[in-house]
Amino acid sequence: MAKKIGVYVCECGTNIADNVDIDRVIETVSPLRDVELVEKYRLLCSEDGKEFLKQSIQEHGLTHLVVAACSPKQHELTFMNICEAAGLNPYLFQMINIREQCAWVTLDKEEATGKAIRQIKAAIARVRYHNPLEKKEMDVCPDVLVVGGGIAGIKASQLLASPDRKVYLAEKTSYLGGKVKGFDKLFTNMESGSALIEQELKKLQGNENIEVLTDTEVEQILGFFGNFEARVIKKAENEELNLSVGAVVLATGFDLLDPAGLSQYGYGELDDVCTSMEFEAMNIPGGATGGKVLLKNGKPPKSVAIIHCVGREEKGYCSRVCCLYSFKFARMLKSQLPEVKVSHFYSDLCIPGKSYQKFYEETKGLGIEFVRAGKTKVAQNGKGMAVKYETERGQEGESATDMVILVSAMEPSSDTNKLAQLLGIPLDDEGFLAREHQLLAPVDSSVSGVFVVGCAQGPQNISESIVQSEAAAGKILSSLVPGRKLELEVRTSEISETFCSGCKTCISVCPYSAITFDEARGIAVVNEALCHGCGACAAACPSGAASLKGFTFTQIYEEIATLVR
Amino acid sequence: MQEEFTPRIVGFLCNWCSYAGADLAGATKQKVPASLSVIKVMCSGRVEPVLIATAYFRGADGVLVAGCHPGDCHYREGNYYARRRFALLEKTIETLGLEPERLMLAWVSASEGQRFSEVTDQFAGRIKQMGPSPLKKALL
Amino acid sequence: MKNNEHSTPVLVIGAGIAGIEASLLLANSGRKVYLVEKASYFGGNVIKFEEVFPNMECATCMIAPKQQELLQNENIELLTLSQVQAVQGSAGDFTVKVKKKARYVDLENCIGCSACFEPCPVEIDNEFEQGFSKRKAIYIPCAGALPNVPAIDTENCLRFKGEDCQLCQEACMFEAIDYTQQDEELELKVGAILVATGFKSLDLSKTNRYGYRKFSNVYSDIEIERICASNGPTQGQIVLRDGETPKSVAIIHCVGREEKGYCSSVCCMSSIKLAHFLKKKLPEVKITQFYSDLCIPGRTYQRFYEEVRESGVDFIRARVNEVAEQGKELAIKYKTEDSKENTLNVDMLILAPALEPEADSDKLAEMLSIPQGDGGFFTEEKPDLDSSVGTLKDGIFVAGCIQGPKDIPDTVAQAEAAVGRILSLSR
Repeated sequence: MAKKIGVYVCECGTNIADNVDIDRVIETVSPLRDVELVEKYRLLCSEDGKEFLKQSIQEHGLTHLVVAACSPKQHELTFMNICEAAGLNPYLFQMINIREQCAWVTLDKEEATGKAIRQIKAAIARVRYHNPLEKKEMDVCPDVLVVGGGIAGIKASQLLASPDRKVYLAEKTSYLGGKVKGFDKLFTNMESGSALIEQELKKLQGNENIEVLTDTEVEQILGFFGNFEARVIKKAENEELNLSVGAVVLATGFDLLDPAGLSQYGYGELDDVCTSMEFEAMNIPGGATGGKVLLKNGKPPKSVAIIHCVGREEKGYCSRVCCLYSFKFARMLKSQLPEVKVSHFYSDLCIPGKSYQKFYEETKGLGIEFVRAGKTKVAQNGKGMAVKYETERGQEGESATDMVILVSAMEPSSDTNKLAQLLGIPLDDEGFLAREHQLLAPVDSSVSGVFVVGCAQGPQNISESIVQSEAAAGKILSSLVPGRKLELEVRTSEISETFCSGCKTCISVCPYSAITFDEARGIAVVNEALCHGCGACAAACPSGAASLKGFTFTQIYEEIATLVR
Repeated sequence: MQEEFTPRIVGFLCNWCSYAGADLAGATKQKVPASLSVIKVMCSGRVEPVLIATAYFRGADGVLVAGCHPGDCHYREGNYYARRRFALLEKTIETLGLEPERLMLAWVSASEGQRFSEVTDQFAGRIKQMGPSPLKKALL
Repeated sequence: MKNNEHSTPVLVIGAGIAGIEASLLLANSGRKVYLVEKASYFGGNVIKFEEVFPNMECATCMIAPKQQELLQNENIELLTLSQVQAVQGSAGDFTVKVKKKARYVDLENCIGCSACFEPCPVEIDNEFEQGFSKRKAIYIPCAGALPNVPAIDTENCLRFKGEDCQLCQEACMFEAIDYTQQDEELELKVGAILVATGFKSLDLSKTNRYGYRKFSNVYSDIEIERICASNGPTQGQIVLRDGETPKSVAIIHCVGREEKGYCSSVCCMSSIKLAHFLKKKLPEVKITQFYSDLCIPGRTYQRFYEEVRESGVDFIRARVNEVAEQGKELAIKYKTEDSKENTLNVDMLILAPALEPEADSDKLAEMLSIPQGDGGFFTEEKPDLDSSVGTLKDGIFVAGCIQGPKDIPDTVAQAEAAVGRILSLSR
């Protein structure tokens, strides 16, 4: 079919007209092959400009459109919409910037005109090789798999579940509530953790849209955003379940660094040196000590030392919540044993936020001692146990104590690694599930449709974990709408079956893991649902089999060939 | 009489950072050499060495590839690929004795309008001084 | 994405990073969004920074694609120069009165060519550039600010002060300048409200703290951010007031912490970021940071701190008692924890002040009947025990620094969480 390329040059008032000899542009470009017309207009983006363009396209039966005007970042979308309104495929269009990148930056009018002509010629050469492209949509499953039944997982499930969206809540142990269930008190109002969990679980009960799967582990997750297939095993029954979901939320929580590996603290060797979790367990009313803080010898301690930042140097990060829960421990101790002497050994207090300094000061006001000491160790001498410390200035000291609580670094829970591998999610340098973009996508993982929330992605407190689970819910509710198809990127990559040699180079460069290998045919295949259209594969393919729609080799070649002439 | 040499420079600019930086140079009325012609790509990672070589061998006096600063790539790692490929291409061009100084890789962010102007001005100046591409004789 | 007729619109107050993120998510789900912003541009505080921690990403590059998307999204109505006046009703059915100040420049007709700036005879200190450069009475705050359409500052414009000046209108090719525009009173019916009005820095000028606004080369961190910015008043050149390059810099953390009674969460990191940037631009510069407790809780924050420390930046745990001028230098008198006193002389002093809720927050809190707690920040529904985005008023949510000082990741997470709450309500 004969091509009829329409070229329109916008004067942009005087912005372009003053610095580019548009009449000469028209004169020079009109005789080019396939060019049906070259016209100028005062302001193409104005209401009458747009109307003029639409009419003109229809009147002349144009097959392709070139617009030379401001930056495509301003109005490419505007003119694409005009194409559609005029019945022309919006991808048979190329926009050229002769304002920001020509008229406004070139002193000499001759030179600016020459540059404009060159760029327009290149656009015409390129647009001849444009192909019509269609919008793509995909059916999605709105259901969600939440992995981890702690507070974050519970909250995410509550917010997501609805009559048209089922939530599967998979938990590897036999109970829901995670770590919070085991905290007798929570900072800052010292309310009960188990009560909080009970309250939240009540909201889950009777909710037909949430299927709770305890004693369940995730075996495999295949697929992509909108279309995941997850296989889980209910351990007790040895029953396999296949779940079709559209999104996955990972809320697998944390563990604390085992201080046994740090010999200076005497954990496991000396009596009455315990971890934070062990101290928490001691305070649970139904626990082994009936909720009482007791030494190994059955008596209550007269003095307790709380050592902050255990393992911080080894791990290389601050665990954010420990200073605060250490203050909580101090209050719990004082509340149970008013006469007990409590001493904190710390290097920096990390208490960010509007209310935490007050919490600290009130704690200090209870007669709690705070010793700033970078180096600490726990030793046993004839008289008993003592914390030996050295301040930043090099001063040494010793503080006798009956009991030591080691507040150690937060780590990702033991299953995190396995899950990360299952899903192809990278771990960050600290071992936590990595976020897609630390700042702008704090709960997205790099795998589209898989969200990482709570302590699985880094140390945080309860409120922050809940915010993240709600954030994941927000993203899912916004993009996976029941009954609505997912709109896909139009200018994606495609791989020619004929030319693909199966070298898999494209697969190794794709930043989005959007290319898979079809073993049967021995070729690479692009998943259009995941492709972002960057072109890394097209550039990497040694066979020329991979090409990026809208930025094919031929299209760019035509631009180059014209520009260097 | 020697004709004044007007260089022909082809620039591949990535849509997200360098193209936006070039736009900002325009919005703030900086000067950008008229000898530079722009080809917009989505990512500097799209710019395979063959495209750069094509521009060079077809008569460009200079070829510029501009992308986002390392770490800022809109597509995560495209600019890292661009960097590696460019380094290899430079080496190859050098081995062939073909003036690798005519090729340039630059990182320009969306807020660096002034820098875009400086980088392109410097590059054009360099090319002008070097004179026409040695490959042009082969094309005539 | 077409408007979902069954759901009510949402009002988002504040078009900073939180407001932008929330608006985009809501709009993409099919909801109509009214995004109300009091300034003539949007992007909040983030667009003032050249780089953001911990990866030193270019802030404007990071946020520009989102801003573009927002401007082109049919479901989002961005109302700049607008402020909420009154709120009535309840969750699902709020009536909000918004005053939209006239811009006097038509958003459709203006193409952002800036031809109107040159003829304007009025020159004033540019507040966005912290007074380091001037602007006209018809202006945009900085290159790249969006929308790329100027506004007329009626307080300083000669015409609006009674003189017969129409130089800007005469210079405009597109009939975009319209002096007859009027302020508008809008009445919006919305189902939910998200408050994302952000923060400002503690004003140090009133007390001349540490010589601020008294001695030449004492700066607040936000002033230095503009000096570092490549689209700023010095195009990123680090210079003192007399144009000289500083050879030694001191940064004081926690300015105002004692009187405010809380840690502002981000200033240690942003101070370390500034040190990193300065060292990059001026490799020979000597930098010393004075702090009380180092608050660096994020995953990679400690690593970044160690890198900066290893690059030769000194960190001294001390209390700064006094700053005096000594010729061209500043003498910083400080006391370390072992009570030893010392003095350090530097060319440039940077102060990192506490973060406070954005101006006019008190009025907004009253309008919405939301209690303000510690520091004047908006109180969340169940502090520490539940999400911090819910307030005590159904249907009204908060995100970002208006709820408490925090970094960008936590701000964006809150914005997304608020969307989660809003979208799950409408069933």
